[in-house]
Amino acid sequence: MIEAIQVTKTFNGRRVLNRLSLRISKGETLVIIGRSGCGKSVFLKHMIGLMRPDEGQIVVDGVNVAGLSIKEINRLRMRFGMLFQAAALFDSMTVGENVGFNLIEHTDLSEGAIHDRVEEALELVGLKGIQDLKPSELSGGMKKRVALARAICMRPEILLYDEPTTGLDPIMADAINDLIIEMHDKLKVTSVVVTHDMVSAYKIATRIAMMYQGQIIQVGTPDQIRHSQDPVVRQFITGSAAGPITDVNFKSLKGGSSE
Amino acid sequence: MRLFIEKLGQSAVGFVEFSGGAFCLFFQTLFWIAVPPFRPKQIYEQMVRIGVDSLPIATLTSFFIGIVLAFQSAYQMQKVNAEMYIPSLVSISMTREIGPVLTALVVAGRVGASIAAELGSMKVTEQIDALETLAANPVKYLVTPRFIALFTMLPLLTIYADFVGIMGGYLVSVYKLGLTHAMYFKMSFDPLVLKDIFTGLFKSLVFACVICIISCFEGMRVEGGAEGVGKATTQAVVLSFILIIVSDAIFTMIFYFIS
Ligand SMILES: Nc1ncnc2c1ncn2[C@@H]1O[C@H](COP(=O)(O)OP(=O)(O)O)[C@@H](O)[C@H]1O
Ligand SMILES: [Mg+2]
Repeated sequence: MIEAIQVTKTFNGRRVLNRLSLRISKGETLVIIGRSGCGKSVFLKHMIGLMRPDEGQIVVDGVNVAGLSIKEINRLRMRFGMLFQAAALFDSMTVGENVGFNLIEHTDLSEGAIHDRVEEALELVGLKGIQDLKPSELSGGMKKRVALARAICMRPEILLYDEPTTGLDPIMADAINDLIIEMHDKLKVTSVVVTHDMVSAYKIATRIAMMYQGQIIQVGTPDQIRHSQDPVVRQFITGSAAGPITDVNFKSLKGGSSE
Repeated sequence: MRLFIEKLGQSAVGFVEFSGGAFCLFFQTLFWIAVPPFRPKQIYEQMVRIGVDSLPIATLTSFFIGIVLAFQSAYQMQKVNAEMYIPSLVSISMTREIGPVLTALVVAGRVGASIAAELGSMKVTEQIDALETLAANPVKYLVTPRFIALFTMLPLLTIYADFVGIMGGYLVSVYKLGLTHAMYFKMSFDPLVLKDIFTGLFKSLVFACVICIISCFEGMRVEGGAEGVGKATTQAVVLSFILIIVSDAIFTMIFYFIS
């Protein structure tokens, strides 16, 4: 179980996370939606200890992540898998070395055993037999799937996805959605998915959380969100240009504030 | 006026932050060098990239500097009929000063820039974050192999450059100024004491640390995409150049006073 308690983070005087609180229970797929630049990636990075909150805590299974030593945090990270927005494959390595990175670094498995585990992970994402290619030879969708294979290779309990479908064609996006559902059903992982793709959110989520101005303004099942009365949530899920979200931006532009 | 003082204050804070960060990285590197695993394969790769691939340019520059040194001193020495001291002048200035400094500058331009650019693009594509989420320490994984490679290869390159420079001087002295073959080598190596070579090598060890830490530090703190990578690369080279020349002056003074 992961819990964010009053997490606050400020960059150069701009408060990106503002006393954000959220609970994620074991085994669920929680989708966090929100506009680009509202701090979704920043929040994900807090969960895995890449960033530290200025105030507040991220608590995983009862322990505060910010209070852990390097050794402990590395042990915790082995239980996580993270899929980055732009895949973040190591481009000096082959696909096989990327996917097997954790196994090569942190286990004593033989080369043959690693090869098999890597092949198994690649098969799960539907990319068998590309171990010897370099990331630069792959398309965007393939890169994301390889990155997903890398994230699941150590069989993590918690998977963090940063915009898994952004920048993909609709068919590839749906294939990724199916993969996320499959990971959830087959591997019984807890998933946190950050996205602004509402089609994807409705399809994969057990719960959806809407992030706005550094806070979670509503959490609920996909149906509850679909029928939300909150004007901000309504504007976001219907994707209209007019509404409270854009009004605020417009006002702050006119007011010349530092936003 | 107030603006000026504010600017001054900002640069002072920036300077303290920068040097603090760089020293911190230096000590972290020393710490992680001692921690297994030692990754001989990666160290070897870096040694080839840093050492072997720098041979052509090191040969070219030090050979021609050797020629210039010989001609330049001939210009003076011929006036007092002291041509026989040209070889010693060449060999001593090569080993004590020009060999280490010139090689360090060449390597800073070639290798420092490439390290900063490589780590910088890894940073902006989130590969460094990805390393951390895979429980691999970026300093251990990226900085230590480069540090060890530079620390061993720069002195070797320096010895090689010393020798090539002396050969440049040989060419001029024997074929242009009429010294004999035996005379040249006698006058080159007789006055050369081990201390000359060691001061040169000591300097090149310092330069190796400077180049590695500055370039890695600049690379790893890149923000803001391709533009940031370009800036960091330029910064790394400029700063390495300055620090190499300043520290050379300081060490030359120290060695002058303690001998
Ligand atoms: N390392 C950082 N330093 C400074 N500002 C940052 C950093 N990371 C993110 N930000 C800022 O935080 C805000 C939220 O970014 P992000 O979480 O990437 O948005 P998104 O919701 O699109 O993922 C942006 O305005 C960004 O400029
Ligand atoms: Mg993002």
